[in-house]
Amino acid sequence: MTLAESTPALEEEQPRGSTLGRYLAWKGGGAAISLVMVVVLGFFAFRVLPGDPAINLTRGRRVSAAEVERLREELGLNDPLPLQFVSYLGDLLRGDLGVSYVYNRSVGALILEGLGPTVLLTGSAALISIVLGLWLGQKAGWARGSVFDKSQTGLALVFWSVPTFWLGLILLLVFSGGFGWFPSGGMVTAGTDLRGLALVLDVAHHLVLPVLTMVAVVYAQYLMVMRASVLEEMTSDYLTTARAKGLREDLVRTRHAVPNALLPTVTLIFLTIGGLVGGAVTVETVFSWPGLGYLTFQGLSAPDLPLLQGTFVVFSSIVIVMNFVAELVYRVLDPRLRSS
Amino acid sequence: MVSSMVRRVRGAMGVLVAAVLAFGMLVAPAPASAEPAAAPRIKVALTSDIDTFNPFLAILASSTDILRFQYEPLVVWGPDNEVAPGLAESWESSEDARTWTFTIPEGRLWSDGQPLTSDDVAWTFQQVIDDDALQQANGGLVENVESVTAPDPQTVQIQLTAPQASNPGAELPIVPRHVWEGVDAATYANDTDTVGSGPFVIESATTGQSVEMAANPHFWRGAPKVSGLTWVVYRNSDAAVQGLRAGEIDILNGLTPAQFQSLEGQPGITTNSGAGRRYQSIAINPGAIDAEGNPMGDGNPALRDPVLREAIFTAIDRQALLDTVRQGLGVPGQTEVPSVYADYFGFAPGYQAWPFDPAAANQMLDEAGYERGPDGIRLDQDGEPLRLRLMGRNTDASHQQMADFVGPWLADIGIATDVMMVQPNQVNDDSTLGNYDLYFTGWGIGPDPDFQLSINTCASRPNADGSGATSENNWCSPEFDELYAAQHAELDPGRRAELVKEAFSVLYEAAVNMPIYYADTLEAYRSDRFTGFVTQPTEGGVILSQNAYWGLYGAEPVVAEQAGGEGDGGLPAAAWVAIVVAVVAGAVGVLIAIRRRGGADDRE
Repeated sequence: MTLAESTPALEEEQPRGSTLGRYLAWKGGGAAISLVMVVVLGFFAFRVLPGDPAINLTRGRRVSAAEVERLREELGLNDPLPLQFVSYLGDLLRGDLGVSYVYNRSVGALILEGLGPTVLLTGSAALISIVLGLWLGQKAGWARGSVFDKSQTGLALVFWSVPTFWLGLILLLVFSGGFGWFPSGGMVTAGTDLRGLALVLDVAHHLVLPVLTMVAVVYAQYLMVMRASVLEEMTSDYLTTARAKGLREDLVRTRHAVPNALLPTVTLIFLTIGGLVGGAVTVETVFSWPGLGYLTFQGLSAPDLPLLQGTFVVFSSIVIVMNFVAELVYRVLDPRLRSS
Repeated sequence: MVSSMVRRVRGAMGVLVAAVLAFGMLVAPAPASAEPAAAPRIKVALTSDIDTFNPFLAILASSTDILRFQYEPLVVWGPDNEVAPGLAESWESSEDARTWTFTIPEGRLWSDGQPLTSDDVAWTFQQVIDDDALQQANGGLVENVESVTAPDPQTVQIQLTAPQASNPGAELPIVPRHVWEGVDAATYANDTDTVGSGPFVIESATTGQSVEMAANPHFWRGAPKVSGLTWVVYRNSDAAVQGLRAGEIDILNGLTPAQFQSLEGQPGITTNSGAGRRYQSIAINPGAIDAEGNPMGDGNPALRDPVLREAIFTAIDRQALLDTVRQGLGVPGQTEVPSVYADYFGFAPGYQAWPFDPAAANQMLDEAGYERGPDGIRLDQDGEPLRLRLMGRNTDASHQQMADFVGPWLADIGIATDVMMVQPNQVNDDSTLGNYDLYFTGWGIGPDPDFQLSINTCASRPNADGSGATSENNWCSPEFDELYAAQHAELDPGRRAELVKEAFSVLYEAAVNMPIYYADTLEAYRSDRFTGFVTQPTEGGVILSQNAYWGLYGAEPVVAEQAGGEGDGGLPAAAWVAIVVAVVAGAVGVLIAIRRRGGADDRE
């Protein structure tokens, strides 16, 4: 029996799986094309940057022209561009992101080093802002026009409009330099050798201000989406049915309206998760958090091409993959998408 | 309805109580581990990036600053930037300035107690000479070195290719052979339990967080009076200022004038405005020429006229820029050598700085035949209006601030300007290729002026594509080259200083680069915790980022650290119990509140 003959039989047996397969292939194909473009762009975009890495790395020190030339040779900057591209592609396929010009270390290792702190910071902030935003959003939407709605929406939008670095610096000025309640930066107290619970508490202590800053600035988007989404459900017939069953208003909201209203926020949440890794440059700079944001920023100065390429490709890939996952989850959550 | 309200209030209260408790727990000072029983460590803010602690590779200023504490060269820069004993206690040069002999005293030890001999020195030099991969940081220092030998354990002989007046034993960090022989020197991270010869050695480092250095008990000048240094990473200086106020760090530098003034007079804090090592200048493109002698770049051809360049500099008020941009904290510019290097600072007899005199500038231009057009803008020799580009870095606020003044000043003498603030790398590219008219620039200058002079010789002209050598000002002259060569081989310090001043004066007179000011380096430290910092130079100098280790090496604690002081020793057990109880109580409160809100009658 050949493969061609067997395939239709399988399809007939599992019609739903096949639709899912086609859906997967379609969305997966889209994601794959995006990934390829990211890889190509990651190489060429940074080649446009001004600045010769070999000259910038040796600037201000006594170096002979021959030495600069040797450095350029060593960094592979003398090879024709297509050749550089091929070697970049080859390395990337082997999972090798290259060696940073400035740090003399593998870009992969540099990224891994900053990944933990960044995810701890952005993850905590995202979790809190999602829970807070969604909770306030559904309350505000349910009681549209009330004092609660107006005050919460207004407050959230004010924070949303505040520049992140400004808010961060103000918090730093007041709660660190002023009251001395929180540390002025970093992730653990330098010069100490903490372990166990003491270490956890120390890190948590350092986390408060940066997380507060991030939450304040972003929770409004969850609040607004959730509020709008609840408003859309408000007039639905199923809510009348629920009320007719004698349910308290609170339960109508939490058991019926909210689960349905949550759907549009799924995409938003997955987009957030995708952006967690690369998305905290400002907060990390204000609070001297040892994460990935600073790495990208630092890469621009040489320019440190492998570092820029590496961070760009990794960050973009995570966003693409998360978007793809969002598509899948959406389909699982919403039966209407499966049937169409 | 009322009961529902009550339930809501109770629920909200529960949440509130839990939140307050959680917040309170985090607000409580973090339990700091017990400080080392002996003298404390100085916590130093580290506000710029570290690349590596491998002395063969480290380029970034923060890394080399830290490594200066760890490895002594043969000779160090003394408290007044003079050549002082390092590994070697004495040295002499042959008459022809090609053979330098250094003597290392007996009994010198590395921080691990191993003997430190001439063999370590010769080995380090040889590694850099032989291995291209180890030349990244200090290749230039061995360029003129023919051979380095160790005839006996206390003697090092450096044979140079060409005569050289500057001490060849300065700068190159000497590493312990017994450590580095066994590792791949080109990739060795050198960040854990390291061995060095200076006052402090690196104990451990956490990327992006901190670097721990321990005092070296075997340091030949005597062990430091503090137990070590903790470098604390800050990624913005405002946060570091708050850290100093809160006592989380003991010293920091690189303050802006505004930050500096905000710390003046604060209890327990002392500020220090130390003479800077950097000149800030405005440069004019006199018509760049490449290594082959062909014109390069797109500089305005009118600027080839020295009279026009002199008039431009005469129209700029250096003191006003220093007062506005740096609140007067610095010294108005003369030659490229900052006032901190007293031996080489200032003009040779017969030279002087351009005065600020717009009337004289206008008169010079009138006499040179630059007539004003109908709109008041002067016309060049081709009858085109004089319109010049003024470039600066968009990452440096002072450039835009200065441009805001320079533009109107030049308009006063009939010259129009187009200000453009661009990326630093764009400035580097354009200045190398001669694609500019005027631009703001500046260099940090080392104690020996040879390098700064060398990049103004005709031999330093770049290739047409910008590769090859780098010329500081895209200018050169035979007269300057002769002076450069003469000072390069002049062994008499007094005579050499005269030649150096003469060379910088000739460069100044060419009107291609006018130093505006030497900004002070602004520092602040906790004088309630540490004292005895030694500045370099001793009069009006800096504590951090010196050319040597004097600043922190001299420091001592103000009082013996008291056991159980503020924030020491961790939380008492009772506090831990209280925290745990509070958290549990809060959680139970929330649970009860939630339970109450849903009753049996709510089931569907």
